Amino acid sequence: MKESSTNIYRRDAVIGIILILIAAILPFVFPTRYVVGQMTIFFVWATVVSQWNLVFGVAGIFSLAQMAIFAMGGYVTGMLGLYLEWPLWVSMFFGGFAAVVFSVIIGIACLRLRGAYVALLTLAISQTMYLLIITDTACFIRQGVTCRNFTGGTRGLARFGDFGFREMLPYKYMAFGDYFLALVVLIFAVAFSIFLIRSPIGLAFQALRDNSNCAVARGISRFKYQLLVFSASAFFTGLAGAVYAGHFRVMGANTLYLNLLLFLLSMLIIGGVGRVWGPLLGAAALMLVDEVLKEFVEWRLAGLGARQHAGHPRRRRQGLRRLRQGFLQDHRRPHHRRGREERLRHADGRSGHGRKKTVRSIRRFHLEWCHRHHTRAMRPTLDRARREISQCQGHPGVHRRCQVRGRGR
Amino acid sequence: MDGWIQILVSGLTVGAMYAVSTVSLSLVWGALNVLNMGQGAMLAAGGYIAYTAVMSLGLPIPIAIVVAVIVGALIGGAMYFLIIRFMIGKEGFETNVIVATFGFALILENLVLRLYGAYPLRQPIGLEGGWYFGATHIPYQNMLLVVVSGVLLVAVGYLLKTTQLGRSIRATAQNREATELMGIRISRVFLLVLLIGGGLAAISGIMLSTLTTLAPTMGYDPMLKAFIICVIAGLGNIYGALISAFVLGLFEVSIQFIFGVRFGFPALLLLVILALVWRPYGVFGKRKTERL
Repeated sequence: MKESSTNIYRRDAVIGIILILIAAILPFVFPTRYVVGQMTIFFVWATVVSQWNLVFGVAGIFSLAQMAIFAMGGYVTGMLGLYLEWPLWVSMFFGGFAAVVFSVIIGIACLRLRGAYVALLTLAISQTMYLLIITDTACFIRQGVTCRNFTGGTRGLARFGDFGFREMLPYKYMAFGDYFLALVVLIFAVAFSIFLIRSPIGLAFQALRDNSNCAVARGISRFKYQLLVFSASAFFTGLAGAVYAGHFRVMGANTLYLNLLLFLLSMLIIGGVGRVWGPLLGAAALMLVDEVLKEFVEWRLAGLGARQHAGHPRRRRQGLRRLRQGFLQDHRRPHHRRGREERLRHADGRSGHGRKKTVRSIRRFHLEWCHRHHTRAMRPTLDRARREISQCQGHPGVHRRCQVRGRGR
Repeated sequence: MDGWIQILVSGLTVGAMYAVSTVSLSLVWGALNVLNMGQGAMLAAGGYIAYTAVMSLGLPIPIAIVVAVIVGALIGGAMYFLIIRFMIGKEGFETNVIVATFGFALILENLVLRLYGAYPLRQPIGLEGGWYFGATHIPYQNMLLVVVSGVLLVAVGYLLKTTQLGRSIRATAQNREATELMGIRISRVFLLVLLIGGGLAAISGIMLSTLTTLAPTMGYDPMLKAFIICVIAGLGNIYGALISAFVLGLFEVSIQFIFGVRFGFPALLLLVILALVWRPYGVFGKRKTERL
């Protein structure tokens, strides 16, 4: 067990280090401001998507509040900078914490619900936030003759400063500061998500996603664990919001547009929901496509739509299958590979380490069981029945079986 | 006193607007588990088609409405043939369908934008005049809206409850695989529901645009409200949606009147969240029992 778990981490570590090296060299190879700027934005979105993946893919919570949490992080950072004149380096962490608090509140409100209910309610919450920001016209502070409202309204929140890379770095490398900051945030976010997915807690999330009744019956509190992952993933999302605000030196309600939300969602879906590296690949792919489509501004949005069609599972599977087999890691596979007996033996073998540990590993075993035995066990039987039915539909009355069922509309 | 009558009248109108945009959404969700993000664009398209039929083609108003319904149904059909057909029964259906229908909405919206421009237009279909109740003016258009939304919802409820098609739709909603094993073609049910949903969306679009103006993005706000109403009623519960739409409409208008327009929607959302904490499957929804 020890052996195999280090293997998992080693594989992630190798992929991670290679990607980090590429990312670190890239700005020196293409030092134009445009490329560096776009890559910075890519890192920000990739951070958001990797955390969204925890909620959406790993824990199976159909949340659309991710951009609201992101905006909360960005806005709190900006407001602390603007009203209290805190440096952004300090306020960005408070932005992250504010995002966590915000997401706990959303979670308490929404996580008692399930499936599409969660999706609709979280979408409504983020739209409410958008409406409250753009309809904000009351005077909060006066700066000379102009009157500024609390959230910045439709113009957005500005003048809270930036990370100060302009002064620190020579002109040529000015854009590199934000680039590496965003990269560092992304690295921490991805590392966090890997550890969470591989940890016992992560297993509980996955068991809840795949067979929630089974997991609940085995003593996992659905609400507690979902709230945990929901709030845990908010920190880096909020931090990404702070980096976004610092990079653009303005935070606007445009981060709450439905288009952007769906753009990020399609990154997640195309990359492969619930996988470790998939969302990053999805983010990269969509950023590239977006870049290409910019040439055709008029049809850009329509293209975005068409591209999202291309994301439907059948075509996606054909296109990305090979990549996924070779490069992307299916987190389910290790659990499948290990035999049941082996894991039972493992649970027994741990008894020497004290009762608590044994209990934990038995629980782990049970959760893996939930994880594997979800409803798909029915599939082969169903497929056969479906084939028979389709034969009948062509030739009613040929078989005795068909005559009975032929009455259906 | 007059103030309260005014609140009642506009509350009912707003409620009817919500109800009318909820019909198609509720049907499509209830039958297919398809969260149609294209609903907003379909509403707009319906309004614009009726506009074209009257203004450019010079058709009389009833025929224009029929044309709009037919074209709306065709849009629903296009949605089936272009997107949903490929996704039925696949893993992650509910999620992917949201993204895909949103893509469809973007295409449709941009099409409308290119054809008609972003400038808001006035919908020529609509009733003039109104009725005075004391000092309160009640436009006939608002009354028509209340009636039409009620009739549409009841008609859809009847369709689902009693007809053969309705029965197969409900069966599909309850258990897709079992329905298929009973010899019902799921694909045909999907297509029919989307055709009906598209037609209903066109009617809703016309009704909405008579109260406001025609704009390519006019459908978003009603769509969002319709989502909320579907949630609070219990997804796919048509009669529940009718009641919730009017209750929430009245509530929102009262809050707007007392505390200011800004707080209407947030207060609405708060009410919905409280209601859902109280009853997680919607106020009128039934708890689904799951077999292990």
